[in-house]
Amino acid sequence: MNRRTVIKNLALVLSGAVLLPSCLHSDGATFIQLKHIQLNAGQEKLIGDICETIIPKTATPGAKDLKLPAFVLKMLDDCYNKKDQEAFLAGLVKFTDMVKAKYNSSFSDLSVKDREAVLAGIENSAKPDNGAKAPARRRRPQKHLQDDPLMAFYWDIKQQTIFAYTTSQYFMTKLVFYDMVPGRYIVHYPVSKLKLA
Amino acid sequence: MSANTYDAIVIGSGISGGWAAKELTEKGLKTIMLERGRNIEHVKDYVNATKDPWQFEHRGGRTQEMIKDYPVLKRDYPLNETNLDYWASDKDSPYVEVKRFDWFRGYHVGGRSLTWGRQSYRWADFNFEENAKDGIAVDWPIRYKDLDPWYGYVEKFAGISGNKDGLPVLPDGDFMPPMEMNCVEKDVAGRFKDYYKQARSLIIGRTANITVPHYARTNCQYRNKCWLGCPFGAYFSTQSSTLPAAVATGNLTVRPWSIVTKILYDKDTKKAKGVEVLDAETNQTYEYFAKIVFVNASAFNSTWILMNSATDIWPDGLGSSGGELGHNVMDHHLGVGASGTVEGFEDRYYFGRRANGIYIPRYRNLGGDKREYLRGFGYQGSGSREGWSSGIAELGVGGAFKDAITEPGKWTMGIGGFGETLPYHENKITLDKTVKDKWGLPVLSFDAEIKDNEKKMRLDMENDAKEMLEAAGVKNVKTHSSNPFLGRGIHEMGTARMGRDPKTSVLNGWNQVWDAQNVFVTDGACMTSAACQNPSLTYMALTARAADHAVSELKKGNI
Repeated sequence: MNRRTVIKNLALVLSGAVLLPSCLHSDGATFIQLKHIQLNAGQEKLIGDICETIIPKTATPGAKDLKLPAFVLKMLDDCYNKKDQEAFLAGLVKFTDMVKAKYNSSFSDLSVKDREAVLAGIENSAKPDNGAKAPARRRRPQKHLQDDPLMAFYWDIKQQTIFAYTTSQYFMTKLVFYDMVPGRYIVHYPVSKLKLA
Repeated sequence: MSANTYDAIVIGSGISGGWAAKELTEKGLKTIMLERGRNIEHVKDYVNATKDPWQFEHRGGRTQEMIKDYPVLKRDYPLNETNLDYWASDKDSPYVEVKRFDWFRGYHVGGRSLTWGRQSYRWADFNFEENAKDGIAVDWPIRYKDLDPWYGYVEKFAGISGNKDGLPVLPDGDFMPPMEMNCVEKDVAGRFKDYYKQARSLIIGRTANITVPHYARTNCQYRNKCWLGCPFGAYFSTQSSTLPAAVATGNLTVRPWSIVTKILYDKDTKKAKGVEVLDAETNQTYEYFAKIVFVNASAFNSTWILMNSATDIWPDGLGSSGGELGHNVMDHHLGVGASGTVEGFEDRYYFGRRANGIYIPRYRNLGGDKREYLRGFGYQGSGSREGWSSGIAELGVGGAFKDAITEPGKWTMGIGGFGETLPYHENKITLDKTVKDKWGLPVLSFDAEIKDNEKKMRLDMENDAKEMLEAAGVKNVKTHSSNPFLGRGIHEMGTARMGRDPKTSVLNGWNQVWDAQNVFVTDGACMTSAACQNPSLTYMALTARAADHAVSELKKGNI
């Protein structure tokens, strides 16, 4: 089989592939039936708003446009063990209480600037004392923070939001260069050619 | 010839079984290949091979349900969403662990030829000599010169890409053009050479991915999705390579869902007359007959079949008369290495995803080097650029952060060791008749571990990795050493070793079972020592050589 025929066949297979349908509320916050954890509409909205604060709509689509909150919840529901799910839910409550105490408001009712300040506050509190950068591949910036449900809650969302974003069709086809069938290996390829947007 | 009678039976359809089927059918033998699992048809059944990352429900991750269903597979990287169908069910096929052994299996047509790492290295002469020289276990009954032409023979057909590096420790093969190192690997390789001169080498990996069109196969398209099955047939697998050749002869029958429960031994002729098969779907039992039997069920399952065979003559099974059947379990021990960052190439990337890396062949206990342990190790590694998500634990949210994560991360260079495990008689597998699999068959019990020699070696593997990367200009080098368990190398070897004496080995120098000379075992089970090179190429060469001998002996009327 030559390359042309194979690519043609691939295209046929691809055109038959359908993405899972998702069921969105008008605000983009409610999506799929969860099997293992229970969240009310307000909590789902909160998670969606945190996702959107991390990856906001700018000149390019944001988290809600790309349905990233649905993916975050799916991962939480299917891939996290019971202990981690419980920590997440405990962190959700802690997060809500913390915002309430500080702003006398829900996170979703805050301005974008205040929302960013809340999240930046959590991130700053997780900074290593010596000013060193957090290791890139760890689930939380510092090991001892894994016991804090607030950190679990926030970093689970952040990790999955970025994972969802950087592996999304939009990101991989519109923002950066990705080719299903590169066909060859070029060892000197300038970084400047990678970004499409 | 009755319906169930053939000239040859091949048990297993993985790398060595595929080669046995190809060689025997091409020499004119009517052959049946028995595979315990389902069929996987080339291209058509590679259901995930053409999916993009965003088309996987969990983007390739593992769910709690998968973790529950695969208590063994979950221990390491193989448990994932993208090729779950290519791994055997831990629930259907359990085994007993007296000591932890990570057994990652592929029960389907093609076996682990679909998922293998494809690194393909010849052994050197010293690898065959070391047992005798060190007084370890028994001497190999063959030397490099016996296998050299067969290495060339299988390389030419399988299609191995590599560079002729001219290294005495790692003989060159019959290669297709090599893949290329990326800019960071070239930089590191240059400084490595300046520092170590001829004493150590850092070369491009030799891999069973074809770099030029080969038979009906398309050259590698640099997708790096090999383990989903390749729609281009660009890497060697049973499906892409040996199976179509065997089918083309008109002499091959493939029977999936066929669990071989025993070899039928005829005590009058002192030969095998066939095999008993349990149909995995219907639970019906069948008998198949043939003049020769090739056992290629993957190392420990090949031994399992022997253990279940001819027990009326030898209680511990066919091939057990020398007392070595099931003993000398080997693997490559790994999980030790180092990585760091490389600066100065921030404006460079690569186009294409190369399913290959670099290789540092063994240098320990060679050429005057003398360590506190025997044998040595090699390293595989690569230079790569961290992905977009490297910003994940960095601080930030919002628009500027969103833009920042479209930038690729740092260049890193990492290497990981593959260490030789010595053949210890006490490292063994046995039958546990108290535990049964889904089909009511007794299962294997594993009692094997790395010992002092390997533990000392692992310290060198860790320290040397750091030293070499630093010598080659890599910064922020950190070492790692974890999970010193056997099995996870997925290079199972031993338990039916070749040797020169029936009193201390299971197979002779032609892979024939001493106790039944028309039975050939040519997968990992036959290995007398492990070396540190990835073993599959050696199984291919041993299989082609044994098949040639089998047909020659058959024609002479000797078996």
